[in-house]
Amino acid sequence: MKKALLLFTFGVLSVVACRKTFVPGTPTKDASLEGESVSVAEFPADVKKIFVLNEGQMGANNATLDFLRRSDGQYITGAFKKMNPSAAAGLGDVGNDIAIHDDNVWMVINNSGLVEVVSAADETELATIEIPTPRAIAFDDKYAYVTSWAGAFATYEGYEVTDSANPKGCVYRIDLNTYKTAGTVEVGYQPEGIAYYGGKLYVANSGGISSQLPPLYAYDNTVSVIDTKTFAVTRTVEVQVNLKNVYADGKGHIFVSTLGNYFDVHSGLYVFLADAPDQVTHVTRDFLKHTHVSCSFALGDEVYCIGTENEFAFNEKHVYTLWSYNAVKNKLSLYPVDLGGVPYGMAVLEDSIGLHTLLVGDAGDYFNPGTVTCYRLYDLQDKVWSVTAGVCPGHFAVWK
Amino acid sequence: MILAAAIAFFLQAPPDTLAPAAVYAVKELPVVRATETVQVDTLVQTPRAVADLLRVFTGVQVKDYGGAGGLKTVNVRSLGSEHVGIFLDGIQVDNAQNMQVDLGRFSTDGLGSVSLYNGQKTSRLQTAKEYASGAAVHLESAVPVTSGGRVRLRGGTLGSVNPSVLWDQRLSGRLMLRTSADFLYSAGRYKYPCFDTTLVRENGDIRSLRLEAQLFGRVQGGAWQVRVYGYGSERGFPGPVIRRLSFPFSAERQADQDLFVQGGWTQEWTGRYSTAIRFKYANNYTHYNTHPEKNPMALPYNLHYRQQSGYFSLAQSFVLAGPCSLDLSTDVQRSALDSDVGQFVTPRRTTFTGALATRVVWSRFRAAAHLVYEGAWDHFASPQAGGWSRTNTYRDSWMPSLSLFWAPLPWLEADAFVKRSYRLPSFNDLYYSLMGNANLVPEAALQVGADVRLAFHPGVWELDLRVSPYYNRVSNKIVAIPTLSQFRWTMLNVGLVDITGADVKASAAWHSGPWRASGTLRYSFQQALDHSTPGSQTWGNQIPYIPCHSGSVSLGLGWKDLAFTWDSSFTGGRWSRTANTPDYYLVPWSLSSATAQYILRFPGRAAAGRSLLLGVTIDNVFNTPYQIVQGYPMPGLNAQLSATFRW
Repeated sequence: MKKALLLFTFGVLSVVACRKTFVPGTPTKDASLEGESVSVAEFPADVKKIFVLNEGQMGANNATLDFLRRSDGQYITGAFKKMNPSAAAGLGDVGNDIAIHDDNVWMVINNSGLVEVVSAADETELATIEIPTPRAIAFDDKYAYVTSWAGAFATYEGYEVTDSANPKGCVYRIDLNTYKTAGTVEVGYQPEGIAYYGGKLYVANSGGISSQLPPLYAYDNTVSVIDTKTFAVTRTVEVQVNLKNVYADGKGHIFVSTLGNYFDVHSGLYVFLADAPDQVTHVTRDFLKHTHVSCSFALGDEVYCIGTENEFAFNEKHVYTLWSYNAVKNKLSLYPVDLGGVPYGMAVLEDSIGLHTLLVGDAGDYFNPGTVTCYRLYDLQDKVWSVTAGVCPGHFAVWK
Repeated sequence: MILAAAIAFFLQAPPDTLAPAAVYAVKELPVVRATETVQVDTLVQTPRAVADLLRVFTGVQVKDYGGAGGLKTVNVRSLGSEHVGIFLDGIQVDNAQNMQVDLGRFSTDGLGSVSLYNGQKTSRLQTAKEYASGAAVHLESAVPVTSGGRVRLRGGTLGSVNPSVLWDQRLSGRLMLRTSADFLYSAGRYKYPCFDTTLVRENGDIRSLRLEAQLFGRVQGGAWQVRVYGYGSERGFPGPVIRRLSFPFSAERQADQDLFVQGGWTQEWTGRYSTAIRFKYANNYTHYNTHPEKNPMALPYNLHYRQQSGYFSLAQSFVLAGPCSLDLSTDVQRSALDSDVGQFVTPRRTTFTGALATRVVWSRFRAAAHLVYEGAWDHFASPQAGGWSRTNTYRDSWMPSLSLFWAPLPWLEADAFVKRSYRLPSFNDLYYSLMGNANLVPEAALQVGADVRLAFHPGVWELDLRVSPYYNRVSNKIVAIPTLSQFRWTMLNVGLVDITGADVKASAAWHSGPWRASGTLRYSFQQALDHSTPGSQTWGNQIPYIPCHSGSVSLGLGWKDLAFTWDSSFTGGRWSRTANTPDYYLVPWSLSSATAQYILRFPGRAAAGRSLLLGVTIDNVFNTPYQIVQGYPMPGLNAQLSATFRW
């Protein structure tokens, strides 16, 4: 914001001083950006960059994009602002999701109401698409699909608004060639995560706002399944209250993480088959009773989760542990280590000989800049390194 | 912006022999003086918001979200606004829901004085709550003495219209009635620089109506008063300035209906024993609507809150021996909050506050000490496995204080105080489901401070100097930071904050014939360091929104019934985060305002006492763009005109 203020001042001064138009300097070359040096020796060779989207704090307009460069191990903060100096307002308010498609980085900036597309190679802005309260993004060959809470309050053309006491959300479709919205479909209450598999989209409906509203005060508990050919909801799958993320393992399994209701239904991970969505399984084992989920990440067949023992003890220090589930092997693994901090986002990398690296975004106090910490999955006791990121480093994307 | 103090000096009415102190309070000398006091003379002075008066005081930060409808809260010496008690005639104006008292809703209309106390106010017959708050702002009513009235019209270039009327009527030899009404409309539209362009602030309009009646009575050896207050407003929240393409920043609206009845009766029974009874019933209703049908970015909230509280206080004072007195004050309060928010726990709080205070007063040496016990029972619905049930919690604390005063020379006096106080977490802190079941620890404040005052009066000059060093420690500090809207907050237990600071105030006044001149220089140094977690990245950093250096200059010049004032204030660099990194640095700014005022007195015996007061105020003279709270731009250059006719 200091920069914003400086720009305010600068803007005023430049108007006073001969009304010179603001000429942005030549954008910095991406390769010359420098940050903190970290060890990337054990990172897979095919990884080019790991992007970290920092949510920022709602209302503070401080979402930022960081990346870790595989070639020289530089962790660079605030890359969007550095590479797009003419974008005076920065990335925006609350970065909620990040994904890579065709060497482009797609970022969902929730409270700015837009999807930002930048080049993965140098983070320069390619397109900005306006979508009300966007949450998460998925792709097929032709379209990007973005979940939105606005639902009944906005249609995609001209934002014609209607009124309803408790509106459902929707999915916006964006044409990958034109970067323009091309239709919406209504789903459940406050949709969050979205995944594409086999011609269908799976949308996790949370009901996060609906739970606050009379007369029902109820969370949603469904996954909406959308046929991408007809762009219509073909069925809904009941899972558990307050759904968060959806992953498809590419082998027919659809994973859904839930947040629970914060007092008598715990968070967790659920799985169902794309072919048989009637049968939903709660991923849990006797030896690991509390398979709760604070954040999660899918890598191939495996879904990794970081969870805490008793998430209802709001005023106690939490012990976070890592566990993973592979539906193909029906195998649940526990990595017994206390990760500490407040894990808010994560990524897992696998190199060619099967060694795994874990990156954890720690939100700290949710207010000041957090950290990204690197662990080896086979030796979680020791941190490999830790760097300062932006505020609430919650979302990771790996560019290969 | 900060003129009232200077104007008060210029257009001081002759001291009233029936001033409230003479009637109301048992004669006493202060042990700790008010850090700052402004005598509000409503007859000869352009009324300003209380927030505008406080803004200039040393050590005070007024948090302001901009515009007439924007929330304004006061923070003193980095203690946090929740540690600053706002007292209207000794009765606390409180808000159990969020402990944020919006000073923007108070006008100096009908007030006799506005005082800020950093140390403990030591007068007798205070309520126990007055002993229990860290710092305190005391608003004291002026007691009308004659029948008369006043009509005022104010307006400004920010699109505001503010007519008001005040009527004093003597009902009998011992009974005075004061009624007043005040309407405000402000469009709240002003230009501000938004990133690389200039926009106009939208949805910042407000309409409000205040109706008030006060009855003042005197009985043998005592006095009483009752106030009935009604306030209704409807306003928009313009929202933080963030990156948006075509969607508006906000369409949020809030409607408030506040009603309270309060009163007090002070009685001296014998030369040695006196009592004061005070009571209050308050009912505050709030309707908050985000209007998603007008803003696709809005989350669809349409919520209603009703807050009620009942309060009773009995203060007793005994004179033990000539210079020595003992006070016992006991307060009981019950607060309730209801809402249609989901999973709302309908909290009820019963608070008992008891204070035992003693004073020893000689003319050159004085001492005061007190001990307060406060206990609060919270009764609320809580989520249990299998359903909801009601739960009790009890929180209590002991709060001691000691104050000393010494005047070694006629022109030199010094006082010192040490005080421990404690503030309960608000209902929002504890039970607001939207913020994720916050379960915060209560917040304690330790204050140590001293004042050295020098006063010289050579001839037509008055020279004063005050130097006030202090040290505060706030443990388990809860910091409220605005999020998407002013209505919702992010609560943060910053933990431990050590505040070292000093306030300096120097003033000079000169009076000769019809000419008057004065100048006041204020400077505050505040180092408010986060000491929560040793080794963390924020340890040892300045806490958010507190400038290390701030100050002001006020100048005034008067000739007969004409007065000019000039005020400039400076706010040094601050950070919006505890992480004091360049990304979160807020640049310093300085602001100036000017005012001119003229009293037209109607000649002739028939028109005796009638006058017309004309005033013009220019705020932000140099059109400086600035933000007190990040994302909330403040108005640029603007002017207000006022005309007040009194009879």
